[in-house]
Amino acid sequence: MLDTNDAFDANGAPGTDSAPSADLPALACESVTMRFGGLTAVDGFNLRVPKGALYGLIGPNGAGKTTVFNIVSGVLRPSAGAVKLFGVDVTGLSPDRIARSGIARTFQNIRLFRNLTVLDNVLVGLHLRREANLAQAMLALPRHRAEETQMAATAAQLLEEIGLAGVSHYRASALPYGRQRRLEIARALATKPAVLLLDEPAAGMNPAETEDLMRLITDIRNRFSLTILLIEHEMKVVMGICERMTVLDHGDTIAEGTPDEIQRNDRVIKAYLGGGAVARA
Amino acid sequence: MAEQRAVHPLLKIAVVCGALILFFLVLSWGQEHWDAYTVRILNLCGIYIGITLGLNLCNGFTGQFSLGIAGFMAVGAYTTALLTMSPAVKQAVFFIQPLIYPLNSIQWGFLPALLMAAVVSGIVGFLVGAPAIRFRGDYLAITTLGFAEIIRIVFTNIVPITNGALGLKGIPPHTNLLWSWGFALVCIAVMVRLMRTTYGRALKAIRDDEVAAEAMGVNLFFHKNLAFVMSAMMAGVGGGLLGNLITTIDPNMFRFPLTFTVLMMAVLGGLGSITGTVISAAAVTIAMEAFRALEEPRVILGLAIPGVPGMRMVVFSVALMIVILFYPKGFMGDREFSLDRVKRLAAGLDRTNTSKQG
Repeated sequence: MLDTNDAFDANGAPGTDSAPSADLPALACESVTMRFGGLTAVDGFNLRVPKGALYGLIGPNGAGKTTVFNIVSGVLRPSAGAVKLFGVDVTGLSPDRIARSGIARTFQNIRLFRNLTVLDNVLVGLHLRREANLAQAMLALPRHRAEETQMAATAAQLLEEIGLAGVSHYRASALPYGRQRRLEIARALATKPAVLLLDEPAAGMNPAETEDLMRLITDIRNRFSLTILLIEHEMKVVMGICERMTVLDHGDTIAEGTPDEIQRNDRVIKAYLGGGAVARA
Repeated sequence: MAEQRAVHPLLKIAVVCGALILFFLVLSWGQEHWDAYTVRILNLCGIYIGITLGLNLCNGFTGQFSLGIAGFMAVGAYTTALLTMSPAVKQAVFFIQPLIYPLNSIQWGFLPALLMAAVVSGIVGFLVGAPAIRFRGDYLAITTLGFAEIIRIVFTNIVPITNGALGLKGIPPHTNLLWSWGFALVCIAVMVRLMRTTYGRALKAIRDDEVAAEAMGVNLFFHKNLAFVMSAMMAGVGGGLLGNLITTIDPNMFRFPLTFTVLMMAVLGGLGSITGTVISAAAVTIAMEAFRALEEPRVILGLAIPGVPGMRMVVFSVALMIVILFYPKGFMGDREFSLDRVKRLAAGLDRTNTSKQG
């Protein structure tokens, strides 16, 4: 299966064709601040995710994790600071342009196109990479037809790799919870991202499903040469698969490092894990 | 399956062409030989199928609840009427204030006039849609409803162009079965094609989850406006055909009940179903006429019931409530009737059997 996915091997990041410099982070937040009226949800947030990393963003409830995600994916425009994708400033672009430039995301509460089939959900993800314009599509010109065939093949292959091939004609809402989560990841991958943001992918899953998911995440990272930024609550998930992580608390960055360093960090233990949680992790 | 596909295309095209030719031959024969009442109702069926498909594109497939359809119909109806009326008739009709210069001396053919109606209502659609489409749900409905009312008031007051509340009379009766059903078929073809493209899928994605659609790279502004403008264009052409069918129009024709009628057709058929829309638009148009009998005085079981004007609307409202109770998504929901679907259902039965074993 690995050798057949040439449709995905080139990561779609802007400017990466012309010799990407090795030290340029895939995703960087530079003193990003978000204020909602009097409340500062995120304060001077810095992040450097190297290319190919599996990076964790953790913190207790209300720490500002999802706010960071919404800023990076363009849902929110930060009050100050910049978001850079391979050194290109993407701060404040609309979500569809962010997706176009190579950042895809999943949502904490699953947001699938519920009435579309599993296959169509993935095809919507492919929409932004289409070449045929509206007139060509409406008139079913050869270019459009070739593209539709190509898209259908790509989508089918993607579903195969994610393990949803058997259910491609089901309505998305008919899938069980764990598979809906998988479909969200497949849909995000269809946009051919360079950076994938996963917002609590293991939320609401049982231990067996969580383990499957962890395997899937490391697997797609390698297969699609992705850079993954992961928000997680479940300590086991982040500690198990992330190489580095940043810990947020009340909008402030309180620690940054490898899982081992984080586990030993006093501020993290005090602010987030609490005494008992260290043993559990 | 793949082998079948390989053989099909040419045969399919031949069958479709043959069916179309036969269909139009029947229509042109019927135009001459059926009685005027039947022809009128069939004309209305064709026109309403097109308009309702347009409304369904915006409200059903894209999930943008717009109530401005009567306004766009008015724009199209006036555009077509003013372009097709002869200068002599215009001079006679505009007796309070004369019609302004370029319009008073031109007379176009029906087809260019209808195309112009599509262009003008499309432009108006964009001017209304571009700002309004940013609103969601109820707010969009209220804004577009307001627009339709504004159009009506404006048309009542720009007397040198629209002849005000007196309306236009003596519009040439160009609309016949070929025009109205040609329009219906064009609208059906456009909808079927659009929904098979990646653009159509993007519209449905917006309906299901706007936030997720945008995060997947769907440009909301472009796609919502696409649906809105196409919907306005279909309504405009439909309005033009309607004007040239009944040969007289005035601003009060295009009040909210007209939007309601079209909306009812779309809801009954299923928001998001092309087949449902076609069936329901035709059925409701015919029923509207058939139910006129309810408004006549009659004697039931020795009880003399006086004729009540508006009785059929009561019946329609009750019917609508019953349908919504038992079919909350309309008769077809967002499904289509097609042979492929029948095949897939059969295949689906097999698949569920095997998956239970596995």
